[in-house]
Amino acid sequence: MGTVARREQVLKVEKLKKAYGPVTIIDGFDLTVHAGEAVALTGRNGAGKSTVLRCIVGADRPDDGTITVCGIRMTETSPEIRRTVATVIDDLDFFPDLSVVEHLDLLARAHGIHEPDDLVDEVLEEVQLVPQASQLPSTLSSGQRRRLALATAFVRPRRLLVLDEPEQRLDVEGVAWLGKRLKSDLADGLAIVLASHEPSLLAAIGAREVQLGVPRA
Amino acid sequence: MSVIDEKFGEVGQADERQLKLLMRDWRRGRADRNLLEAFQDAYVMVFAVVLIGAMLISAIVQAQQSVSGCDTDQCLAARGLLPWAAVASILAFTLVACRMFGPIVASAAEGFWLMDGPIDRRKILAGRLVGALGAAFAAGALFGALVAALTGSGVTSILTWAAAAGLGAFGLTAFAAAEQGVERRWITATLQWVVGGLAVATLLALVGISGGWISVEPLQELSVDFAWIISGAGLLLGLVSALLAHLRLRNIRRQRLTAGSSLIAGMQGAAFAMDFALVRDILVEDKAKRRGHVRATRGVGMGVTALIMRDVQRLWRNPLPMVTWLGTMVVPYAIQALGIAQLNPPISALVLMVALIGFCNSLRVLSRTKGLQRCFPFDPGKIKTATMVVPAALALIWGIATAPAFIGVLGGVRVDVVTGLTAALITALAGFLAAIRWVSAKPADYGGPIVSIGVGALPPGMMFSVLRGIDMVALVTLPIVFGWPAWISLAIAAIAFAFLRSGMDREALMEQQAEQQKILAAEKAKRKGGSGGAKSGADKIKVQRRR
Repeated sequence: MGTVARREQVLKVEKLKKAYGPVTIIDGFDLTVHAGEAVALTGRNGAGKSTVLRCIVGADRPDDGTITVCGIRMTETSPEIRRTVATVIDDLDFFPDLSVVEHLDLLARAHGIHEPDDLVDEVLEEVQLVPQASQLPSTLSSGQRRRLALATAFVRPRRLLVLDEPEQRLDVEGVAWLGKRLKSDLADGLAIVLASHEPSLLAAIGAREVQLGVPRA
Repeated sequence: MSVIDEKFGEVGQADERQLKLLMRDWRRGRADRNLLEAFQDAYVMVFAVVLIGAMLISAIVQAQQSVSGCDTDQCLAARGLLPWAAVASILAFTLVACRMFGPIVASAAEGFWLMDGPIDRRKILAGRLVGALGAAFAAGALFGALVAALTGSGVTSILTWAAAAGLGAFGLTAFAAAEQGVERRWITATLQWVVGGLAVATLLALVGISGGWISVEPLQELSVDFAWIISGAGLLLGLVSALLAHLRLRNIRRQRLTAGSSLIAGMQGAAFAMDFALVRDILVEDKAKRRGHVRATRGVGMGVTALIMRDVQRLWRNPLPMVTWLGTMVVPYAIQALGIAQLNPPISALVLMVALIGFCNSLRVLSRTKGLQRCFPFDPGKIKTATMVVPAALALIWGIATAPAFIGVLGGVRVDVVTGLTAALITALAGFLAAIRWVSAKPADYGGPIVSIGVGALPPGMMFSVLRGIDMVALVTLPIVFGWPAWISLAIAAIAFAFLRSGMDREALMEQQAEQQKILAAEKAKRKGGSGGAKSGADKIKVQRRR
């Protein structure tokens, strides 16, 4: 990946505002993320990290401000945006009657990957779900479901990866693996925005930290 | 009797009866109103019950009166056979419910707090066994009597059918409870398939009789009095099995007892919100959990084709909906045989709707949450269309297969080929649209305005939740029931399809509209010279407190 590609602006958030009823969660928030760059949103519980991420992926509609992804104004239903942005936030659902491997196969094929077997196997091995490949999602443990959610983001083409506390329910080995995987993706020019409370993960990927809300005294 | 514990000193024996009384006291002692007061508050519910009751009585009276119109041997024989089909269906349903929930259940709290203690589980669960048996008898008898009344049977016959269905359900529930005590499922499952098969066979016989393929003579042997044999067998099976079940109550694992109750609790929550699609989701999830794993199959195609082909592959993976779908093809023929041809489109469309819901799993999952939908690189309309392909194809095949019934080839009212074909097509369309609506309609919005009624607050959308699907059937089929031209139904179906297909796109359009309004407002503010900038994020939130 060349330097030009790395400097390409992937995400631009300008003057973002979001309130829930009378409570303003975020106001006048700006953020720019380039290809090959990782930005970590940090802050106390309720500081608005998840809210910002939900607005970025289109799960929530901001009250004010603009979000552009690769120059396209954010519309959650736009196929271009969906092709570009891979997300792992807390609203991911699974088909109850499709196995772990079938979920990944379907997503890869939907994204135009002709023979996804090798890619799917590789990702399954990475997330350590090979023994569970033929299991239905409802029988997975919460940690395994989290790994499957992460796998859905890695099995498809993407230019921006949005993760909300990806370390949640992962064991120590899992967090270490995730750090390595994200670092490798960054080297390939992927832009990452994540919210995390795991300093080791942020250190591993060399994320630029953006503090939300007032820091704890 | 008591023992001395090193740490706790003298420890007495737990008295199960006292524990149960204590639980009852906790539950009932904290009630702040009695049943009458609750009914007075729940006037909407009382009104609804009265209304539905009045409708049922009216339907029974009409059915009794219309018997005189059904005067041919075939029609009378077909009507006589319907309660048999109903009893078989009730018994099959009883077994399904028993396998799904228990039939003996204990709440999660009881499982955690009570079952952990040194108690005799039988003493705690005996009441549950009696309750389950009583409920099975009452529900079976009620539905058996209702179907018999609706087919125009006399009072003696109604009582006979009620006894057959009630005691049959009692016997099978007791048998399932006895099986629960030895952690065995296969006999109940086999029995369920046998009884279900009998129900379908009875419906087929009904069609055969009306079509003149089966002689009416053997049916006379199958007289109503034969139903008493079922009652007797049910009673005997029930008493023996109940005794066995009681003896085995101590053996039931705690997890087996609480699994059914947590399923009931989840379904209760969804049912209180009148979100029946969510009730089905819970059942599907539970089934998937019990199944555990599948033989993974490789996908086919790319892009949207991959999504469609997954639905095709599902047909082989889970053949039960296919069996149900095939079984429903009998219904239009049966209705024609019963001499109520005019009501064939709405009734058959409702049955088809139920059959097609099983094929809409992709659509359901991709409609209920945006998370998974967002992973696919297509706009929502395209996703929705792709997930409708398989149900639409099945509806079309169903329409073609049932066209002879609507033409009247096998009895009933004979109409010309075009009229019959159009009626079949409209029925298939209505069933398809109803299934799509039922599966993909948004649940009640608790974030919007709430209406205050006697039993509490109610989102307005909740009132229409019950009508999901039924509304589509009514809109599309009622014009032909009223004898209006078929194109009216087809036009309504086309509009309904466009509306349902763009259901998710509507949100996108609203988002775009809101976005445009924002841009316009910003432009206006600029022209006025206003900054339009954001306020400082440091504004402190004042927590409101009552003095």
